[in-house]
Parts: sequence; structure tokens; C-alpha cells
Amino acid sequence: MTNVIEDLSDKDVTFADIRHETVTGTTLGVINGALRSLSQSGKAGVIARALVGECWGQASTTEAVSREKLNELLKEAIKIAKISAKHSRKAIDLSNIPSHEATVWQSVKENPAEVAVEEKIKLALEMENSLKIDDRLVKTQSRYIDSRNAFKLVNTVGSRLEWDEIRSLAMVIAIAREGSTMQYDYGARSSLAGFEFIRGIDSVSFAEEVANGAIALLSSEKPPSGQMTVIMDGDISGLVAHEVCGHASEADEVVKGRSFLTKMSGVQIGSEAVTMIDDGSMVGRQGTIPFDSEGTPGSKTVIIENGVFKGFLHTLETAVVMGVKPTGNARAQDYNSRIFARMTNTFFDKGDWSNDEIIEDTKDGVYVIKSLSGMEDVVGGGVQATALKGYLIKNGEKTSLLRSMTITGKVLDILKTVDAVGNTLEFSGGTCGKGEEDYIPVSSGGPLMRGTMMIGGG
Amino acid sequence: MNLTDVANKLVTLSEKTGASQAEAFVTIVKTASVYIDNDIPKIGSLQSEIGAGLKYIMGKKIGFTSSTLATESVQDVVDRAMSIAKVSSVDPKFVSLPDPKKASGSPDMFFDKRTANIANEDLIGKAMELVDATKSKIVTVPNGSLRASSVEFHVENSLGVDVGSKSTIVFGFFTAKSEDSGKVGEGVQRCWSREIDTIDFTKIGEKLQSKAVQVLEAEAFKGKWEDTIAVLAPSEGSEILGTLIGSNSNAENVNTGSSAWTDTLGGSVASDTLTVTDNGRSERGLMSAIVDDEGNPTQSTTLIKDGILKSYYFDNYTALQSDVSSTGNGFRRNDREANGRFAVQAGCRSSSLEVAPGTKSLDDIIGEIDRGIYIEHFAWPIVDAMSGAFSNEVRNARLIEKGELTKQVKYLLWVGNLLESVKGEMMIGSDLEIHSRRIMPTIAFPGTEIVGQ
Repeated sequence: MTNVIEDLSDKDVTFADIRHETVTGTTLGVINGALRSLSQSGKAGVIARALVGECWGQASTTEAVSREKLNELLKEAIKIAKISAKHSRKAIDLSNIPSHEATVWQSVKENPAEVAVEEKIKLALEMENSLKIDDRLVKTQSRYIDSRNAFKLVNTVGSRLEWDEIRSLAMVIAIAREGSTMQYDYGARSSLAGFEFIRGIDSVSFAEEVANGAIALLSSEKPPSGQMTVIMDGDISGLVAHEVCGHASEADEVVKGRSFLTKMSGVQIGSEAVTMIDDGSMVGRQGTIPFDSEGTPGSKTVIIENGVFKGFLHTLETAVVMGVKPTGNARAQDYNSRIFARMTNTFFDKGDWSNDEIIEDTKDGVYVIKSLSGMEDVVGGGVQATALKGYLIKNGEKTSLLRSMTITGKVLDILKTVDAVGNTLEFSGGTCGKGEEDYIPVSSGGPLMRGTMMIGGG
Repeated sequence: MNLTDVANKLVTLSEKTGASQAEAFVTIVKTASVYIDNDIPKIGSLQSEIGAGLKYIMGKKIGFTSSTLATESVQDVVDRAMSIAKVSSVDPKFVSLPDPKKASGSPDMFFDKRTANIANEDLIGKAMELVDATKSKIVTVPNGSLRASSVEFHVENSLGVDVGSKSTIVFGFFTAKSEDSGKVGEGVQRCWSREIDTIDFTKIGEKLQSKAVQVLEAEAFKGKWEDTIAVLAPSEGSEILGTLIGSNSNAENVNTGSSAWTDTLGGSVASDTLTVTDNGRSERGLMSAIVDDEGNPTQSTTLIKDGILKSYYFDNYTALQSDVSSTGNGFRRNDREANGRFAVQAGCRSSSLEVAPGTKSLDDIIGEIDRGIYIEHFAWPIVDAMSGAFSNEVRNARLIEKGELTKQVKYLLWVGNLLESVKGEMMIGSDLEIHSRRIMPTIAFPGTEIVGQ
């Protein structure tokens, strides 16, 4: 790879890189007591990129890597970049970006690849078995995944990198049925960590909490609808952080003026209680990365500080265009995918209220719990965040259990109404798509947050 | 690489090393794509991926492994599959892999040579045709992607299945931003086809521009309308109705008791205006092939006829549990992302869900509604298929009052229960469109609510 990059001598190409990725791992799933899937994967691919003007060409393959094949790929990438560059309006100069030389192998206490498959099966079966606490649970399911992504990257400014990312995940789902009423609950724990992370989960209480959640939801009520006081748990506040402020802070959306936050640097966009961060360098979070897909180290970026909008998440290109340092947020799903500005671990920072104080201080409202899905609105600054469940709050106490609901509104209005922020952070790991695809591992999080927003559920 | 040879080696070696049954799925995917960024082709891309998935069975113990094969040999893949099958636990419900069955038609009957071989330059030209039709003084195209994939696969198993098929998929996703007098808005358009030359990119661009501009007029919806008829454009209705029907007709969900329509065969589940077919041989379907990804022949299965639930759909595993024949619904392939599917085990999934079109135009449907809403775009339409509950943020919609479209609205939720709504007086349009795995028209859903600030 290094020789091929060093041999590149096309004067139209101002930057190029080659990235090789190998993915190995184990996935298993248990449904209603039976091991329904057990798989181990081994895939590898390489992608070459070239920049001409302001346009990129890229070519990828899963064929065996040879000098000849890499030359062929880079040549193809350059050819495609030149075709696109006929529409180019300017040149992007990446020649002064920092270069990095390092080999970073993740330190784990227990490498999942060295843990016997039998032990992983036993754990998944135990988790699933712990869900069976009631005859009304018609479908119980557990899932275990470990993966190791190993990367090699070289580029024309001199970066020579090798690193890996090891992640582990455990998940349970319980579906309850009573007559024609069906409800479900789920739990998921994931981390950039080895098998020690999975061992640290109390699988019985983890599963039983989910099973009890599904049973309880059978007698839940329809949520109220309209504008009201809402307390978001850390999972939902993290979802709002991620979907709205997070995606709109991705600098590729800013350099083209699509983001509603484009001209907001230094502007008070929320109450002083609101601080939001993206941090790819946190220890052991699902979205933590030693380097992004362009070889920039993962780092911490303060997006909102005490309500004032501060910073964006950058690729090499957006950093150069905006005259700032790259932040390590250039990420690709895999060797087949494009690189663009993405989040890592994104969260609202904690405040000084205890969780109980926030509930007790709320006369009428809804406490929304556990995220199901969300969708960004980078242009309009709206939010759709769907929660699994919640509680009606009356005179400072949680009362009726409510079934799934969606919160929405304009985030710049919502953030200004935030008047209470909890002192405990909660993180959830998962995957994030941009637009409707390009999924990467991330986490989002936050404390309990209280504000005014619109809510509704079917 | 010859897919048939690789599949044969994987199965043969598995049998030699002690597998009671083995199944190999080998695929090659080639994709050309272009990403639009701020009105220009920002990234052009060419991808080639070869991969194999191997199911290695020892009695009722199953191990699955996948590989891109460049960094390991066929023997390595078989050894890994065998090692995990040995330590796997018994799946008591597993019966057998599929027996060979005659699949009619040519393996390339859903393959379009022009789409498979399109050059990046031509693809960029198509995308820019759309961009040029969208742009105006107040409208830009900040994001877009267009890709054309060819997918060829071969599946072989120990019982004599030895068959393949190939197809093509085109997918496009574009957003337009409008900005005028301090107001901003966004329009979204997607396109899907098996044949790139059937897509009218100028027409899509014009529609995208129109959507982006009309959103500028939107005002926040205030209050709540109960018992409201919501007319959903095909892109939105197909997603939400497709999820409901696709999930509840899925034999895997039926057999595990997590379908709302378990034990409902022959019963009324929807309005008598609704007829839905799962068609693995749909002329326009992106999943269409002569066989599914387990090698079973594909077919057309009527799921709902005039509102009555007629059938579920089955892959090989669920069919053998239910003592019926597979309906050819064992899939690994995906309608949108062609890469990486060799690493996924076949499961029971819908092929193309086709709603039988009605006779009404969009104007006819709107003309019959006293009070309702016409929704062209949600943040992302979702429904809990088990309970039927939904609550979706509306991003582009107009109110319907006394048979006419009136005010453009924003900042509202559409809420209700879809299992209940589809039992009401649904109106089915005549304007079939393909979206993902669904071919559906404009549909009016009664008995729902819209909630504003």
C-alpha cells in the first residue's frame, strides 16, 4: 500500500489514500429456547480514494491485495475523480494536514476471539432463559455479537497507520401477549471492549428487567397528546442530542449551508443548562475510535457550552475549508462506503439536579423512557424521537404507565425551555445512519432533562 | 471467480468433513455510484465484492460462516464452519435444507445489461439531469446519491439444489433545500428500479423542486383533529403499510406468536378494498429472481384478498415447521444495499408486496374527504406492527377541507393505530409506485389523529 501511494505522480491528484479493512467476529441468536443462529465471519476489502479539484473518486474490491491490484484500484479512483471534477468549482488543498504514524492495538482483558464459542452460547442461552418469567411472554430472544475491525491506512501526506477496534454486544428482547394486546421491551449493552464487558453484565437482572417491562406494558395507557412538560431519560435526551444537534453539527452539512446551525457559532441557542459534547476518545464507549477513517485521532469536541453553540465535527476536507483542525469525525461504514462527517459518542453533559428532584419538581408532565428510533432534520431543526414507554407525572409523582410515544418540535425552541438537567449520565450504544444508510457504531447519552415539547402516541 | 465452482467446493468439502447437510451461497456484486453534494457530483465510486456464506449442519446442530475468500481458502472456510457446528447446540425445530425443485424462467430474466454495465460517467450524467431539473434561484440539491448494482448469486446444497439467478437494482435518494425570504424548506425524492433507463430523472427533479418550494408555505398546525382521514403518498403509505403486512404475514412471526394475525387465516383483517400479494416474480420488483436465496422457486402468494387474510409467507425453515411448502421467501439479499449480504443467513422475509390498485386518482380520493390531511413526507414513517400503534412527525403535508387541499402545515404528529385503521373504509388509489420492497399506490387511512402545538 505504501509503495503504491508513494509512486503516485498524477499532478491533478492533490490527495489520495488507501485503506484496508479486515472484519472478523461471532454472532449468535437465541429465540424461544433454541439457538437459531451461530455464525463467524471473515471478510476483507480495500478502498482507494483520490481527490481532484473538489471531487473524489473511490474504488473498492474484496479481491486479494497485490501491488498490481492496488495500482489498478487507485487508477480507477483517479479516473472517476477526474470525471466528477469536470463539475468542480474549486480546489481543495489537503497538503498541509497533519500526518500520523502509529500502530494501535486495542488493549482488552479478554479477547473475544480467544473465548470459547461454547461459553458465548451458554451466556446467550442463560440470558434468554432468564426472560421466561411469565407465560404471557410469547417470544423471548437474546443476541450476542463480538467483532474486530482491523485497519491499515496510508495517504499522500505521510500517514502510515494500523489499528483495530474490538466491540462486544449483548441484547435481549421480550414480547408479551394478552388477548389481542401485544407489547415488547428490550435491553442492549455494547462497548468498545472485550469479553470482560459481557462478563460484567448481570445477565439475570438484565433480562428480568426487560421481561417485567414487557409484561407491565400490557396494561399501559395511551399517552396524552399536545404541547407539554416532558422529562426525557438519558437515553431519550441522548437521542435528541444525536439526531438534531449532532447531525446538524456535522461540518459537511455546514460547509454547504444545509444545516440550521450553519451560522450559529457563538450564538446562545439553548438555556445555560445545556452543554453538549462529541467525544471519540472516551474509554470504552461504543463510538470510541483510535482513528477515524482518514487517520485523524478521535477527539473531544464541545458542540454547545452553557447554551452557546461552539463547534462542528470535521473531516479533513471540512476542516481545511473552514480553517480549523480536523476533529477525527470522518467515518465510513466499511470498505465499500464513502467517508463523511459523523458522530462518535455524543451526549448532553450533566447538570446539578438529582433525578428524584426533577420528578418531584414537576407538577404535570410526561416522563419518557428508552429510545426506539429517531430521525434528524438538519435543514429545519425539527426532531422526531420515539420512546418505548413513559409515565404520566402528577404533582411530582410517576403515575400511569404509558405506551410508546413520539416527541417532536423545533429543537431551538426546545433547548431554550430546558430548565432542569440531572446529575447522572446514561449512555446507549448502537449504530447511526446518515440520511437513510451508512451505518456506523456510535453511542449517545445524557442526563434526565426537562423541557417543553410536543408529544403524541397511538 | 466462478460462483458455481466455489459453491460446489464448499458443499463437497463440507460433506467430506462430516456435514450431514451443507448449503453454500456465493455472490458477486458490482456497484457504480455517485454522491451529489451541493449541486455537483462530489464522490464517484466503483465497488466490487465477492462473498460466500456456508451453512454446515450436523444433525440438528448448525454453524454458519461467511468469507470474502481473498484472505483464506475454501478449506479454511469449511474448517471454521465445521468447528462452530460441532460446538453449536441443537435447534429442535430444524428439519432439513430444501429439496431441489424446478424453477421456471431464465436466470437472467430480471437482469438488465444496460444497468449492470453503466459507466460512472453515464451515471453522473443521470444524476446531474435530476439536479439540473431541481435547481432554481431558491432551490439547491445539497445531498443525493444514485447507484446501480448488478447482483449474481448461486446456491447449492447437499440435497441437490444447484441454481442461481441474477438481477439489477437502481436506487436514488435526493434532497432539495429551498430558501426564500428567511424561510427554509426541504423536499425528498427517492427512486427505485431494476432498469435505469425506465427512470425519468427530469420528472423526479421537477417534483423534488416543487416539494421543496411548497414546504416554504407551511405554517405550524395548532390543536388536534380526531377521527381524521390521512391520505398518504405512495412513498410514505407503502413504508407503513408494508411494515404492518410484511411483519404480520411473516410465518416466522406467526410461528413464534409475535404476529398480530396469528390464528387469523380466513378472517377479516382489513377493508374489503385491500388486496395484497407477495410477488417474488414481480416485473418491477427489486427482489425478483427465479429462486429465493435458499434455492426454492419464487412465486406470487396472495396474502390478503378483499380484506380477508388468505396466507402467510414462508421460507424453508418455517414451511417445514408448518407442514406446508415454502413460498420462496428465504432471503439474504436486500432491495437497497446489495453489498455484504453473503454474511447474512437466509431468513423469512417478504419479496415484493404488491397492493392491487383501485380506480381512484389522487384528486378523486381528496374530493371524497370532508376533513383530512394529505401527507407527502414524514421524518420517517414507522409503525409497531404488533400493536399497530404509530406516531410520526409530518414534514410535508396539506390539510384537506371539504374535498379540497388547503393549508400547507408543519410541526405536527400523525397518530393512531394502523391495525384498526386498515379495517375502516380505506381508499386505494390507482397510481402504483415502487418503493423498496413495496409496489403500492396512494392510500387513504381512516380513523387517525393529527396533533399540533
